[in-house]
Amino acid sequence: MTSDTLIRTRNFILVLLVQIFIFGQIHLFGYATAYIPLLFILKLPRYTSHNALLAWGFLMGLIIDIAASTPGIHAAATTFAAFMRNGVLEGLIQKGTADDITPGAASIGWSSYISYMSICTILFYIPLYLLELFTISYPLTLLISVAGSTLLTMLFLLVAEALTRK
Amino acid sequence: MQTILNFLVKHNHWFLFILLEGISFMLIIRFNNYQNAVFFTSANNTLGDVYSLITDVDNYFGLRTENAELLEHNKELAQEVAELRLRLNEAESLNALSKETIASNAKDNYIFNTAAIINNSHTRLNYFIVIDKGAKDGIESEMGVFNSQGVIGTVYMVSDNYSLVMPLPNSKSNTSCKVRGGNETTILQWDGQDKQHSYLVDLPRHSRFAQGDTVVTSSHSSIFPEDIPVGVIDKVEESIDGMFYRARVRLFADFSTLRSVYTVGHKGYKEQKELEKKIL
Repeated sequence: MTSDTLIRTRNFILVLLVQIFIFGQIHLFGYATAYIPLLFILKLPRYTSHNALLAWGFLMGLIIDIAASTPGIHAAATTFAAFMRNGVLEGLIQKGTADDITPGAASIGWSSYISYMSICTILFYIPLYLLELFTISYPLTLLISVAGSTLLTMLFLLVAEALTRK
Repeated sequence: MQTILNFLVKHNHWFLFILLEGISFMLIIRFNNYQNAVFFTSANNTLGDVYSLITDVDNYFGLRTENAELLEHNKELAQEVAELRLRLNEAESLNALSKETIASNAKDNYIFNTAAIINNSHTRLNYFIVIDKGAKDGIESEMGVFNSQGVIGTVYMVSDNYSLVMPLPNSKSNTSCKVRGGNETTILQWDGQDKQHSYLVDLPRHSRFAQGDTVVTSSHSSIFPEDIPVGVIDKVEESIDGMFYRARVRLFADFSTLRSVYTVGHKGYKEQKELEKKIL
């Protein structure tokens, strides 16, 4: 196991713990919840294979599910977001950037990073709330939840990005 | 073959994606109550619709054999209905009579029998009714005939298989009756006018009765058991000589729609008649 993978695993566990014990308890106004593990997914290197992405995403979502006793919902949503991640990144990145970068404000610029982050977050929360409601008869609730949660998570992720910018 | 494999290999992440999402869905539906309920309800609904559609199409193809089977079944049912109708006619006249009358009169040695009317020429004056039971079935002359509505008449003449019944609206008939609630016996006679009304003649002036009282057979009739309804008083007038009351009785039995009847015979009737003859 390379030190990279080791570090990654450490980050994985760290993010999970933080989510379960701190950020998972934050529910604002009954609609918005933060979901920090997205940070981990977003930060995976640019050309990670789909399989690896899927595996990481599924695992992450599953563990959160077990902690939140909603088996399967987060797993499905995280897998979806992980699957879409590469496509979004490719769409937003400019030509000529290096191959093995980790997406961040420094490597791809703030605007790209914010768009990338927001799109991925939305792509995560839409399936999540759809599955949770399991019906499309409450579009307003869906909308508010998605918007609220996206904003909240983005807030935290941006803060994290700003703090860790070297 | 090679191309398929190549395709599979190239897009294997898609399959992994579908697999993982599938696992997630399975987990969701299985372990979350709300999602479970919603899923299975809507699945049931949709499945139900699909199944009915399939069944409709299938049924259409089996229509010919189903038709033949239905025809056969109908034939058997028609036969059974005819049989049951006959039996129902008998049972009807049995059921309609109050159980009290049967029970109490059974002790008095009354024999009941059922019969069906086969000729009812009710449009003629002085008419007779023919029933389908005769001497072979134990019918004898001077047996009483009545149905669930009321008294109909008396058996007049008997042959082997049929009997002639003289109905109440017949100038020769007189039945011993009393007003229910009282004890005075009177005779019911027909005046030849209309079939629905007969007259109680010889009502003593001291007897108590009123319009609307029910007239029933009395215990003095050797033909009928006591308390079989005859009719209801609907007009009271004085008799011709002023010594008695004359009450018009609307008969209960509807003589234009007679179908099945009850005959009643008295076991000791012959003996009683013999005794009475000795005096006269």
